[in-house]
Amino acid sequence: MQLDAHIPAGPLTEKWDRHRFELKLVNPANKRKFEIIVVGTGLAGASASASLAELGYHVKTFCIQDSPRRAHSIAAQGGINAAKNYTNEGDSIWRLFYDTVKGGDFRAREANVYRLAQLSNNIIDQCVAQGVPFARDYGGLLANRSFGGAQVARTFYARGQTGQQLLLGAYSALVRQISTGMVTLLARREMMDLVLVNGQARGIVVRNLINGVLESHAADAVVLCTGGYGNVYYLSTNAESSNVGAGFRAYRKGALFANPCFTQIHPTCIPHTGDHQSKLTLMSESLRNDGRVWVPKNGGDIRDPQDIPDKDRDYYLEQKYPSFGNLVPRDVASRAAKAQCDAGKGVGLTRCSVYLDFADAIKRDGRENIAKKYGNLFDMYELITDDSPYQKPMMIYPASHYTMGGLWVDYNLMSTIPGLFVLGEANFSDHGANRLGASALMQGLADGYFVIPYTIGGYFAGTTLAPVNTDHTAFKEATQTINDGIAKLMSINGKRTADNFARELGKIMWGYCGMSRDEQGLNKALTLIRELRAEFWQNVLVPGIDKDYNKSLEKTGRLADSLEFAEIMIHDALYRTESCGGHFREESQTEEGEAKRDDENFSCVSVWEYDGYDKAPKLHKEPLVFENVELSQRSYK
Amino acid sequence: MKKLPKRINLTLKIWRQQGSEKKGHFETVAARDISVHMSFIEMLDSVNEQLAMEGKDPIAFDNDCREGICGTCGAVVDGRAHGPQKATTLCQLHMRQFSDGDTIVVEPFRARAFKVLKDLVVDRSPLDKIMTAGGFISVNTGGAPDGNALPIAQEIAEKAMDAAACIGCGACVAACPSASAMLFVSGKISQLALLPQGKPEAARRALNIVKTMDVCGFGNCSNHRECENACPKELSIVNIARLNREFFKASFFSDET
Amino acid sequence: MSWLIQTFSSSIGKKLLMAVTGLSFIGFLAAHLAGNLTIYAGGAAFNTYAEKLHALGPILTVFELGLLVFALLHVITGITLFVQNFKARSVPYEKDRSAGGRTLSSVTMPYTGIIILGFVVFHLINFSFVDKSDRTIFEIVRSAFANPVYMIIYVVVMIIVALHVRHGFWSAFQTLGANHPKYMPALMVLSVIVGLMIGFGFGLLPIYLWTVR
Repeated sequence: MQLDAHIPAGPLTEKWDRHRFELKLVNPANKRKFEIIVVGTGLAGASASASLAELGYHVKTFCIQDSPRRAHSIAAQGGINAAKNYTNEGDSIWRLFYDTVKGGDFRAREANVYRLAQLSNNIIDQCVAQGVPFARDYGGLLANRSFGGAQVARTFYARGQTGQQLLLGAYSALVRQISTGMVTLLARREMMDLVLVNGQARGIVVRNLINGVLESHAADAVVLCTGGYGNVYYLSTNAESSNVGAGFRAYRKGALFANPCFTQIHPTCIPHTGDHQSKLTLMSESLRNDGRVWVPKNGGDIRDPQDIPDKDRDYYLEQKYPSFGNLVPRDVASRAAKAQCDAGKGVGLTRCSVYLDFADAIKRDGRENIAKKYGNLFDMYELITDDSPYQKPMMIYPASHYTMGGLWVDYNLMSTIPGLFVLGEANFSDHGANRLGASALMQGLADGYFVIPYTIGGYFAGTTLAPVNTDHTAFKEATQTINDGIAKLMSINGKRTADNFARELGKIMWGYCGMSRDEQGLNKALTLIRELRAEFWQNVLVPGIDKDYNKSLEKTGRLADSLEFAEIMIHDALYRTESCGGHFREESQTEEGEAKRDDENFSCVSVWEYDGYDKAPKLHKEPLVFENVELSQRSYK
Repeated sequence: MKKLPKRINLTLKIWRQQGSEKKGHFETVAARDISVHMSFIEMLDSVNEQLAMEGKDPIAFDNDCREGICGTCGAVVDGRAHGPQKATTLCQLHMRQFSDGDTIVVEPFRARAFKVLKDLVVDRSPLDKIMTAGGFISVNTGGAPDGNALPIAQEIAEKAMDAAACIGCGACVAACPSASAMLFVSGKISQLALLPQGKPEAARRALNIVKTMDVCGFGNCSNHRECENACPKELSIVNIARLNREFFKASFFSDET
Repeated sequence: MSWLIQTFSSSIGKKLLMAVTGLSFIGFLAAHLAGNLTIYAGGAAFNTYAEKLHALGPILTVFELGLLVFALLHVITGITLFVQNFKARSVPYEKDRSAGGRTLSSVTMPYTGIIILGFVVFHLINFSFVDKSDRTIFEIVRSAFANPVYMIIYVVVMIIVALHVRHGFWSAFQTLGANHPKYMPALMVLSVIVGLMIGFGFGLLPIYLWTVR
């Protein structure tokens, strides 16, 4: 298969303008004749639904939660980047573009990233107009902070709840369209399959999560905004219902999956305390501005941290990276913590965490000032762990947080299936091998508010669509297949629940395809996953009945997908023998143990095609061409 | 170094209801060997694992982010919405709040407007319906002026943020002796009434939202202040007073009906 | 006028009715109490006050009719609210604990209200719709409170009125939208003070009259 990203010709700065001009338009009177399905109501899904409905398209929007306002974008804390240069520090669209490409370790498309940087400013304007209560200075203008190691303050924020406020803004635009009747909302629905007619995406089959009934919905295009696959690791900062299902089901129907091994592990999460744990909670990255990371010099030093004198402490980040110190990028900080714990120097109950110590900061700035900056985070930490960071160092450990990989899309955000568009975290397009802080919100909203409204019109104007409704055999077949699958799961009646399997899969993925990977481990993981999958189909236990509210059945179905999907991640990680961004191959490191890219062989997107159950997926490559930035090795010494 | 986490045994007296049309009842379920580090939701997970192994139907409950921001989880625990700890959602309520041997009564959020769907799962779509009636500013995508074109005093922005912090969990309704949704409604009304962007349609918004709130079958505010005490985000009833003002302004002094 | 009906049949509109009528009653009670305090100055003073009041003639009638209308509004709206609120929680909680907001005074509002309604009727029968041709009002009052049952009923009801006012007073301000972080704490205290003043002001009179019977 020849992958054509449809990048417009011309200079980088003019590509998007030129493309918008070249895209054919749909006559306003004709827009109402088109029906669009949007799956997911996070930043991307809610903004896309609203914007498309505003244009006059009929939109059917689905969400897995009981309300569109609960999508997991809501949990984003830090902020959203924009190249406004309000702070007069010399920021520009070009600088934001460059930082993002470099931050992604040169594994993203230049044209996409540049467009993202261009649109970043419109997003802020749009959100302000919607009434998003961004933080402001005394003069009443928007406040900015620097975030995620950026050298300019370009992050807009609403306390520690930026994701919530942006999502509620998009949600408000969405409910406004529901009130006009242009959007029909169907909540508590899970997408079970994508339906193709004549090779085009023409609908979906969903399961009503209240009564278990399967429902078919036909449309002229399908837009997936279903988030990432971080829950493959079981313990992650993702929500319970975040899952790869929709994306994976589209992949099985022929959509290609790009860079699945690019996952982001966030360095500052509250460590797990035991096997009962279901999720990990993120502590904002900003804590590293004042906290010092350390472990005891001697593994197994069981003294209370306050009683360990300085000479017995190892401030390993400050030692190793004197110029960046505790502020090295996420991937570097995460790997360093893992190395300490692997060396037996980890602390805490499970010996799997490191200290983040504020004693020096409190001594220097006073407790009051530290409380002003981090009070709410300290309270949250204490609520969860019952320890006060004012008295005792925090314990932190990295956790899966975001996935850069996703369904492959072209410049129009259309997948390899005509009529199937993929937005937000669910696609692969903008972050390369590592996402910078405060960029996820920016991408979700750029895709939904400002990209899809134009590109979907271009698709409709240039395509012939046969009339299709849910009586079509394709819907019947899809429904039958899903029913068979559910019946099969229900009939196994084994001895292990989905949670139990998911935990084991998570351990395999975290162990062998987490913060660092090597060939041997990855091969081992492949075997382990296959064994686990085989056992799953023999021994899984689904309590309750199918036609009912049944969380166990939901989880089991998603796990069945994860068990297959995990393998694609492993294949991708095996293929990419270089280290880049969040993907660290032990075999490819510098003498100092830093990630070493191999631009000659891997300056490409690895794109995987489904080739049947239990078969290795087929690899395709989309070469990445850098005409505007110079590839360099990242260094934080 | 920390001692091993304490483990406790509890008895749950928990509401079971097969479906919205079925009659419900309390069931006594043992929660054994619970680590005090578990959240309430994780404790329920552990009970469910046990029920599944015994061939019984697990307890149905809603939850999602498990970090207190999505507003999906919620139940009345020992007579309190989201349990005994202040400013906390159920998923952030940890079992160290309970003692070995405790019997805990767990019920769904009760309100006529919130139909019980199964066990602890309730239908909170009336809250979305209220938002659909006017919880927005009518701006289309594109054409927004520069973000800094309209300065907003920091103090106003902060107050708007206080009101906007609502997570839509419905604990205010559950805790209100009259099952009123006024605190929820007042959050959005306040946010948009405080900000200049929201002013052009303030009257319309107030009237439509209050009308919808009444139609949904919520009770009438009786100023018990239970809502602000149960709210995980500690929204204040100052917002309800503002909602009342907005409603009176719209009813008596605007052209809207 | 449909907008007006619409406004007052809404939940907030009904609360507005309760607040406005309730505050008026508190105003009435204050005036009533001021008049009653003349009892401490002796029967003559009290009778003079009563005569002067009745000398107002039609003004008094208008005022009384106004009170009647307000009372009807307060009672009918109150009952409507009570029924609606009761229905709004269709299934009661098995275990119901305060989160820290409700008070004895707030949760008993409908019940104290009903008691007060009954009491007002009782009170009017005793002292208003009574044959005053051969006795002064002071004599009627004094003879009534010579009976310990009367005295006790009045004292108990005054405690109940105090409870009702304690929640009703600040609550009316909140409903009217008058809640400001700078003033609300003071208003909450004032609400207790007003409740106590009404409770003690009215409640001590029957005791006083009983002791001097």
